[in-house]
Amino acid sequence: MKHPEQKQHSLLRLLKMSRPYWKVILGCVVCVIAVNGAELYKPLVMQKVIDDFLVADKPQHGFSSIPAMGALYMLLIAGSSVLSAVQINSMTWVGQKIITDLRRTVFSHIQRMPLSLLDKYSSGRLITRATNDVEELSEMFTDVLIDLFKDVFLLIGIVVIMVRLDWQLSLIGFAVLPFIFLITNFMKRKMKANFVVIKRLTGRINGFFAENISGMKLVQIFNMQREKEGEFQELNDEYYRASLTRLMLHSILRPAIEIFNSLAIALLVWYGMGRIMNHTLDIGVLYAFTNYIKQFFDPINDLAEKYNIIQSAVVSADRIFEILNEEDSLEDYDSGMHLERLQGEIEFRHVWFAYEKEDWVLKDVSFRIQKGQTAAFVGATGAGKTTIINLISRFYQVQKGEIRIDGVNINDINLKDLRRNISVVLQDVFLFSGSIRDNITLSNDISDETVAEALELSCADAFIDELPHKMDEMVMERGSTFSAGQRQLLAFARTIAHNPAIFVLDEATANIDTKTEKLIQKSIENISRDRTTLIIAHRLSTIRNADMIFLMRKGRIVESGNHESLMELGGYYAQLNAV
Amino acid sequence: MKNRIVSEFLRKYWTNYLWGTVFLLLCVSMEALSPRYLGIIIDLLKAPVVDTHQVMRYVGRILLAALGVFATRFIWRYFIMGNARNMECFLRMKLFRHLQQMSVDFYNNRKTGDLMAYAINDIGAVRQSFGPGVSLILNGLGMGLISVFSMAKSVNTRLTLFALLPIPFVVFIIVRLGGTIQKRFRTVQKNFATISDRIQENISGIRVIKTYVQEEDEVGRFDVLNDRMKQSNINMVRVSSILTPLIQIFFGISFTINLIYGSSLVRAHEISLGDFVAFNGYLAMIMRPVISIGRIINIFQRGMASYKRLGEIFEVEPGIRDEIPPSGSMERLEGNLSIRDLSFRYPGQEEYALKDININLKKGRILGVIGRTGSGKTTLVNLLLRLYNVEPGKILLDGKDINEYSLEELRENIGYVPQDNFLFSDSIYENVRYFNDRYSDDEIKSAVQSSMIYQDIMEFPDQFETQIGERGANLSGGQKQRISIARAIIRHPPIYILDDALSAVDTRTEGAILKNLKREMEGHTGIVIAHRISALRKADEIIVLDHGRIVEQGTHDELIDQEGLYRELYQEQYGQEQRENMENEAS
Repeated sequence: MKHPEQKQHSLLRLLKMSRPYWKVILGCVVCVIAVNGAELYKPLVMQKVIDDFLVADKPQHGFSSIPAMGALYMLLIAGSSVLSAVQINSMTWVGQKIITDLRRTVFSHIQRMPLSLLDKYSSGRLITRATNDVEELSEMFTDVLIDLFKDVFLLIGIVVIMVRLDWQLSLIGFAVLPFIFLITNFMKRKMKANFVVIKRLTGRINGFFAENISGMKLVQIFNMQREKEGEFQELNDEYYRASLTRLMLHSILRPAIEIFNSLAIALLVWYGMGRIMNHTLDIGVLYAFTNYIKQFFDPINDLAEKYNIIQSAVVSADRIFEILNEEDSLEDYDSGMHLERLQGEIEFRHVWFAYEKEDWVLKDVSFRIQKGQTAAFVGATGAGKTTIINLISRFYQVQKGEIRIDGVNINDINLKDLRRNISVVLQDVFLFSGSIRDNITLSNDISDETVAEALELSCADAFIDELPHKMDEMVMERGSTFSAGQRQLLAFARTIAHNPAIFVLDEATANIDTKTEKLIQKSIENISRDRTTLIIAHRLSTIRNADMIFLMRKGRIVESGNHESLMELGGYYAQLNAV
Repeated sequence: MKNRIVSEFLRKYWTNYLWGTVFLLLCVSMEALSPRYLGIIIDLLKAPVVDTHQVMRYVGRILLAALGVFATRFIWRYFIMGNARNMECFLRMKLFRHLQQMSVDFYNNRKTGDLMAYAINDIGAVRQSFGPGVSLILNGLGMGLISVFSMAKSVNTRLTLFALLPIPFVVFIIVRLGGTIQKRFRTVQKNFATISDRIQENISGIRVIKTYVQEEDEVGRFDVLNDRMKQSNINMVRVSSILTPLIQIFFGISFTINLIYGSSLVRAHEISLGDFVAFNGYLAMIMRPVISIGRIINIFQRGMASYKRLGEIFEVEPGIRDEIPPSGSMERLEGNLSIRDLSFRYPGQEEYALKDININLKKGRILGVIGRTGSGKTTLVNLLLRLYNVEPGKILLDGKDINEYSLEELRENIGYVPQDNFLFSDSIYENVRYFNDRYSDDEIKSAVQSSMIYQDIMEFPDQFETQIGERGANLSGGQKQRISIARAIIRHPPIYILDDALSAVDTRTEGAILKNLKREMEGHTGIVIAHRISALRKADEIIVLDHGRIVEQGTHDELIDQEGLYRELYQEQYGQEQRENMENEAS
């Protein structure tokens, strides 16, 4: 699934997204041309009134009369107004379609990103990609796309009419154009540099602010208020200076263009004057020219403004495509052997693994856990225990060696089937907003009886029965109203309800009171009874009954066996127990 | 309070608005000159004998006016819009300072994201009101008045009245439709917020989603929100897209009136052709500010709402403040702590978090505190650090009430290691010395050695300069805890408070750190709070908290002999065998 346009400029890639809607867009273009036509015809009506009836005093009859001209004028305005409303609505529809599709693409793309990639992008960045960055593009499709047509057609139309009215006058009017382009070009470059600075500063200010709020307690306890304030003041001042520069650049560009507008009119009058005197030019034509010149600058101004939008749209698009380009590393849910139900025999064969390059976290790890056994992994922080969890669920790929479940290399098993069979409970239990029931079923089709049974087996029923709405109690603020222990019990219930073949637990180190701790132990017992269980242990007391205990040190398994045999061995494990 | 903040700003910078307004009016009046000059030029050209000299004079004037407009516009924008930027930075700094004074209680009730919204959205909206909002109003008023005045005075009053007839309708439409647009716009924003929340939750919980293979269901649920967002956007545009065309149609009527009635006046020689042309120019000038009325209303409504919200935040008084004016002198305490009959309830709570606490801790002694979750351990720490207010006479340090110390002095004397390990996104180096440059590199090194993190730091490629990512993402929990400990050790405070600070390190490292701490704490007072009894090994005395009361007190051995909660906890945590191990070690 490789896209040939991967390396393409983001802008082009954005435009390609509008291809399916070309019919609507074409309709809009027709509307825009009609609107432009009306816009351009208006000064001609004025010119006719001035030259025929006000200067020359021609007789009025039928269509060739002031009231008829007035009616025509009104008709042009009304018609173009209606058409532009139609066009805006259609283009919004197109733009929203594209944006909605894109947002969906980004979202489902993130769903399929492997953890190694998700680690690379911080969660904050991913959220911004799927929300603000996508939103930033919507203006690009609804306004910019069609306005570009509109402005360009208007420019062409004005040029054609002006030249047809009087080509000499036109040349005079256009004489100022090169200067405008020079100035615009020069200013744009300055603005772009400034834009980058401001964006960077805003990011830093917001980051600093948010972090200071999160760490406020420490800031206060360690009396850092003054240092932090000083740092912030510096950032804030820097931002102020940059925003003033921005203001000045913007205050120069547009008014400068307007000066050239007046200059053009001055030139027209100066040149037209002589020709009016020798009657080779009508006053109405001169007046129409001043109008056209004014109209001529509007689309130029407009294009300059649209340039800003395009600019920030391209920045956002670059960032979105950066993520979408990570196609090859996406998780593959479709291929692989389909295994409905695993037995749960796990084997590591000479597994080497590093999160980064050659920085080995696991070194030649081999072990085998029989179906239904409980195995515990013990070792100092950083010994590689947690990594084992990541590998079994194939959140990361091993570099050397292989992992087999039921004798099959896990790389050959369909990813969905593999993960459905493994349930991992992490130290920090994540609860979704929604009811407790939703958090256990994860909106899957699981009957109430199963949920109730799961709650009972996980020993979570006691505290849930005390809640006013029981299972339908809503989880507030990611479950912060529950204690860490209670959250863990809920995660166990979630596991039991999904009935996996393999249960993996990263034991919580957080403050769990001893009463809940007992419930947790009971719950683990229930879960591990008829399934293969892996426990990453942080305390020795909890794993005494494990069938197998693996002692890890600096990425290697240094001792293995059950409690008794390890104590007898008198090695590292016995030493740990003695502390 | 909120009024004070804006008036404080205005008092300081009001001259900017004065000058801004002066130059804006100058700018507008010069802008209004050019239709007039063009009209005069047309009349001059229409004359049978053209006075070229006169024409050139007016051409010159048009150019001069344009230059004047350019210069004055730049100046007024600098004054008014620049002042709004100034205001933005002023408010942000104020908010930052204000938030630094807020107590822990304040933060418990508010989410970081909500507070960030004040700093980003609300300050932005206020800036919009004070910058673009104010300039649009001034510009519109100036432009409208001067144009109408010029039309009526120099062209024709009746024509002016006729031509301006549709304008009241335009204003009515803008206000009416504007309301609907805003309502729909708010729906769009609400939907956007919902989508953002969903995405945020999804990404935070991605591991669970992947573990339970919920990806496709998540996309399905997302689609519903996504479609709702699309529909609300389309609904909004359905109204907003007819606003400008409607305004144009009504102004079209004005132009048409001028075309028909105005030209009949020209033919009747009541006005000149130049007047007719100038009139057209003025109409065009009025149209622009009228179209922007909707935007102005929108900007100000948002600004006002944000301003109110900011005001509410600024009105919150700091809950904890110095009772005595800080003397500036920083005395080093001995470290004698005594607590007398201390009872405490959290604000708004009925139950006592602490009841009748009495503790006497002499300099150099280590007090262990143990108890189940919710027994009041952390509350005790919160009070010692004066994160909450304490009644006078209840907690004494070196015989003096803690309220009589300045907050800075009190906290300077306490080395605190918190439960959660928050690190700033900066280098390890800065996180140990905490942005305080009075510590030498040797002191830093010795602190990290004591907290058993030196080896780990040396193994990082950048060592002390290693940057700590988003909330310290690239360090393990244990490593973060050990950095927090180093941060406390480096200050050599008279009083140490360790609030369950060793929960994420394994028992072996815990032992080593405790040993080092014991050495560091020699002659210093220590309070060690823990869940695990193993962390209390070095305590001289242990108190057991239960439901906010001290239920047992004594040394480890004394407490083990009592048939109480401590013994119960001990037995829960250690099996019979373990106990033997420990006794072996002790003997």
